[in-house]
Amino acid sequence: MDYFLQNFPQQLVNGLETGSLYALIALGYTLVYGILEMLNFAHGDVYMVGGFLGAGVAGLFVHNGVAAVPAGLIVALMALACMGGAGLLGVGIERIAYRPLRNANRLAPLITAIGVSLFLRSIVEVQVSPAPVLVPSNALVPQTVIQVGSVTTPFMALALFVASVVLMLALDVFVFRTRFGTAMRATAQDREAATFMGIDVDRVIVATFLIGSALAGMGGLLFGLTFATVNFFMGFLIGIKAFAAAVIGGIGNVRGAMVGGLFLGVLESMVGGFISTAFQDTFAFLALIVVLLVRPQGLFGQPLPDRA
Amino acid sequence: MAKPKILVLVAMATVGLTACGNTGGGTPTANKPDKVQIAAEGPFTGDEASIGAGALQAIQLAVKDFNKAGGVHGTNVKLLVWDDNHSPQTAATQQAAGISDSTVLGIVGPMNSGVVLGTVQGLQGANPPLPFVTESASNVKVTEQGNSVAHRVNARDDQQGPADAKFMIDQGAKKVEVMDAKSDYSTALADIAAKYLADHAPSITVQRDSAQHGQTDFRTIVQRIKSFKADWVFFADEGTETAPFVKQLKDAGLTIGQNIQFLGTDGEDDPTIITNSQGAYLGAYASNITPDPTLVATAADMITRFKNEYGADSIGKAGPFYGSAYAATQVLLQAIANSPVNNGKISRADVISHLASDTFQTVLGPVKYDSKGDVATVAIGLFQAKGTDMVAVKSITG
Repeated sequence: MDYFLQNFPQQLVNGLETGSLYALIALGYTLVYGILEMLNFAHGDVYMVGGFLGAGVAGLFVHNGVAAVPAGLIVALMALACMGGAGLLGVGIERIAYRPLRNANRLAPLITAIGVSLFLRSIVEVQVSPAPVLVPSNALVPQTVIQVGSVTTPFMALALFVASVVLMLALDVFVFRTRFGTAMRATAQDREAATFMGIDVDRVIVATFLIGSALAGMGGLLFGLTFATVNFFMGFLIGIKAFAAAVIGGIGNVRGAMVGGLFLGVLESMVGGFISTAFQDTFAFLALIVVLLVRPQGLFGQPLPDRA
Repeated sequence: MAKPKILVLVAMATVGLTACGNTGGGTPTANKPDKVQIAAEGPFTGDEASIGAGALQAIQLAVKDFNKAGGVHGTNVKLLVWDDNHSPQTAATQQAAGISDSTVLGIVGPMNSGVVLGTVQGLQGANPPLPFVTESASNVKVTEQGNSVAHRVNARDDQQGPADAKFMIDQGAKKVEVMDAKSDYSTALADIAAKYLADHAPSITVQRDSAQHGQTDFRTIVQRIKSFKADWVFFADEGTETAPFVKQLKDAGLTIGQNIQFLGTDGEDDPTIITNSQGAYLGAYASNITPDPTLVATAADMITRFKNEYGADSIGKAGPFYGSAYAATQVLLQAIANSPVNNGKISRADVISHLASDTFQTVLGPVKYDSKGDVATVAIGLFQAKGTDMVAVKSITG
């Protein structure tokens, strides 16, 4: 019991920080699913590309651990490259790989999504780097470790959490409080009816991919700055975890994805900390199965209407 | 200075081979095989290219040196390159092409235990079986399944694990965190080291954890290590996960060489971890299933030729297996050269029987196989992260 009490606060913080990244990626899955009812399995790799764009920009300005221009400016440029690059990549993927199949069998876009995922991974592996690439985070962000009581967290891990939460809240406001957000929700509810109401559905879909992918790109940047490394396969596992988080929260539901991500992060941290690190993933996916069995629509999802 | 040395070597080798051919009865040309091919197999690109690329360079150099010295009774050996990308599926596809070509007489590799275990049945079941000499697959099972095709020049996990554990005991370890990264290679090795600690130093407490292949967020494990108050971390890993892990150790206040010691395994004998961890890896030890060629006198000429071929700084970038890769190639080529030539052909069955019976001279010392395809005593190299390099410290045994 002592062991639990001593370690619980730290593992909770670790879990929330990890979970916030899952949540940020999960939003992309859930936004696209909400609108198109398709699983964009390339999303994890868009996140990976975002990470590499950040590393690339950092590499332009940082040499031997010394930043050529103010670090804040470099980080801002990295954010621009990550969000812009990943956003445009998402839009491009939608245009090339998904839009032509929009009215095809539901399996077709799923297959192309897996194809795009493998394509992106292979391109980065062969053309950029098969080995992990260093992100010179020590020249860009403070390396201080913040301590509150017995709990410690590196500055950047906390920043990752805060930035993720801010972005999620901003998205929430966008979806629920703006005109365009209303158009998104209308499209999600009934694409055909939305078209009749004068909503440019194609524009909504493009915007959805842009936003979801930009968030993933930002996730890639935050990841790179936190862990000081990016690699070509970093999108795979986190993609599956974020997908699980989206499903646990109720796929298609923005707030559900946030909660699902945080829940999964904390669950993993607790299992690893108090049961076994070898079974972290087993429990994460067990949670997915249990949620699907007990509440198929996820924690926050609406019960699915029967469709003919 | 290097050139004349090479010439002398080439000349000596040529004389030696010619002599062998003559004592064999016929003239060398009569014994000339029409075509001899071997394959180099390993993760030459992909996430483990840092161990594969240097090994491939060494294999290419070994074949070049061998051909310069006369090849197989005057026939140059052709090297096929099979990049298996650390995937048994990819490996099986490439091996299939070699299996069906009877002039492919053996493989140097595969490098990863998981790839060997996933493909060895196919190599053994081929008609005729296709032998291999791996330079780095250390899982015990690689040579424990009764396959006549399996050989290695490196140490086994049950030689490395005990040597690693003994090193930590000798260094006065009290609480050891033993970690693996859930692969055929790392889990087996971590288990062996943990068992050795339990059997030989019961006063040492051990905490066991597992990371994931590709894991970057280690804070859960780091907290467990902190709470356990470990004084040593033993992480059996192929190397990809180490940089973020040690950086997070440091972020959590555990600095290698100060309040915690770190011992990694072959994949972690890699200087890029120092840069990628922003220096957090400095002071860490890594053991390797082969000795460091720079500490082996008989490897000096090979190192010189390697530098001439690939550049002065190439050794530093060659990864942990360039020496064993060169040695494994020598073993295979000598077994082929010792096999009889009938109607311009050498049979794989003969190569396998010569691998089993002959003694081979390699840059890392003589190699003679036991019935399983293992070498009885192989030195384990111990390295330490210093400055920007992994520096060879000494050789250890279990």
